[in-house]
Amino acid sequence: MIVNAELFVNDLPGQLIGSIEPISLVDGNILGVVHNRDKIIDHRICVNLTFEVDDKRLDELKELWQSKDIVISNLGSVHETYSMEYILIGDVDAQYIEDLLRKINEATTLDEVNVSYSTKSVKNAAHTSLISVKARYEDNLDKIDAILRKECKRANVTYVRGV
Amino acid sequence: MRIFISGFGTIGQGITEAIGKKKAFFEYRYGKNVTIVGAMDSKTYVVGQNGLDPEELLKKKKDTGHVGDKSYSSPSEALKATDFDILIEATPTNVKTGGVGVDTIEYALSHGKDVVTVNKGPLALKYKEITDLARENKCIIRFEGSVGGAMPIINLCKDDLAGEKIKSIRGIFNGTCNYILSKMDNGQPFEQALKEAQQQGYAESDPTNDIEGYDSACKVVILANSIFGKNATFDDVDITGITSISADAVALARTKGMVIRLIGEVSATKLEVAPRLIPKGHPLSLPGTLNIAEINTDLAGPILVSGRGAGRLETASAILSDLVAILDKRIGE
Repeated sequence: MIVNAELFVNDLPGQLIGSIEPISLVDGNILGVVHNRDKIIDHRICVNLTFEVDDKRLDELKELWQSKDIVISNLGSVHETYSMEYILIGDVDAQYIEDLLRKINEATTLDEVNVSYSTKSVKNAAHTSLISVKARYEDNLDKIDAILRKECKRANVTYVRGV
Repeated sequence: MRIFISGFGTIGQGITEAIGKKKAFFEYRYGKNVTIVGAMDSKTYVVGQNGLDPEELLKKKKDTGHVGDKSYSSPSEALKATDFDILIEATPTNVKTGGVGVDTIEYALSHGKDVVTVNKGPLALKYKEITDLARENKCIIRFEGSVGGAMPIINLCKDDLAGEKIKSIRGIFNGTCNYILSKMDNGQPFEQALKEAQQQGYAESDPTNDIEGYDSACKVVILANSIFGKNATFDDVDITGITSISADAVALARTKGMVIRLIGEVSATKLEVAPRLIPKGHPLSLPGTLNIAEINTDLAGPILVSGRGAGRLETASAILSDLVAILDKRIGE
């Protein structure tokens, strides 16, 4: 996960390093450091940090900062997600899509799913739907791809996936 | 060096024209001329051991519909009629049987002649047999124009990217499908876009090979065998064509800022031709009849090449590059 942290450190030499060092101790990867000298509260200087860290080690990091008398003012995290779009063309009504998504959910975890349907064409009996998914891990997309490929083949549905 | 041209349609005529135009180039580079000593179309052939005039061959074909006056019962009969060094094989592609090209290529290689071909059928169906035959007879076979027309890809991967590990290649390998899908981007239904492609001369009267993805699949097989060292055939490719792509699907893709393109993909584990959703602005969202390929390598990263995938002189340019490579090897620069 990617974390944005706003810390306040004592205005003393070595305090900036002291705020960064714990990130290394939990095997984090520092992406950005801003020493914000304009923002001083109660004799403490603001430091903004952006870093990647295993979400399981975040509590450990907080404890390390607190042990160094560093105040955590704000902590926000962003998960990197992998997204993919799929268009299905054929006999794909809402019930079919719902069943398909249930099978996908049984096999893997999705962070987000959106389904759009086209207005049914008068000339064309086929329905079209677009499924957008977001997953935490790239492997999850491979699992979704395998399920959709198999199910669409079985139902004679044309399956168009992203790149 | 003496050349026999098998197949005198658009491509055969194109390379004939190119050889005529490049006479001074050949003389300068090799100190000798390159002569056409034989040519055949589907019904007739003509030979001339002292060289045939390219312009006269083209005129004869234009005026009479035939390149020669003599008819033949089998292609080998025409090939036996004169001695030659290099066969340029440009007969029509037949993805089911390999067509005449299989016979002419096998005849040439088994008689110690080098071959340049743009015919996808023999390469997609009998790649291993053909390359083994070339090796046994110490012949060179080159086929740059069989994938992507004027777009360099096979020799680029084999020569210029030698030493790199090619991880995958994916791209647009059929200009006809890309033309149709580009027209559908603007709201035209599939049937109308296909008809327009036929009227513009981009699609044949029977467009099956293009729109069902068979033409792209042949190219995927050729790339898999020549660059990835596989022993694949046409049947190994997972193929989905574009016939079921509806205007609704294209419109739905558009709402997400995407277009649909027929993409061929080759990697160590995948041989596939399928319509794919491509974000607008992505190199593979290219509109029109151009071909494009994204080559993913271990050291150089992604490399993009693009060019005209078909056409008389465009394909002749690929044949010419193969011809020059063979002449460099046989004569020396």
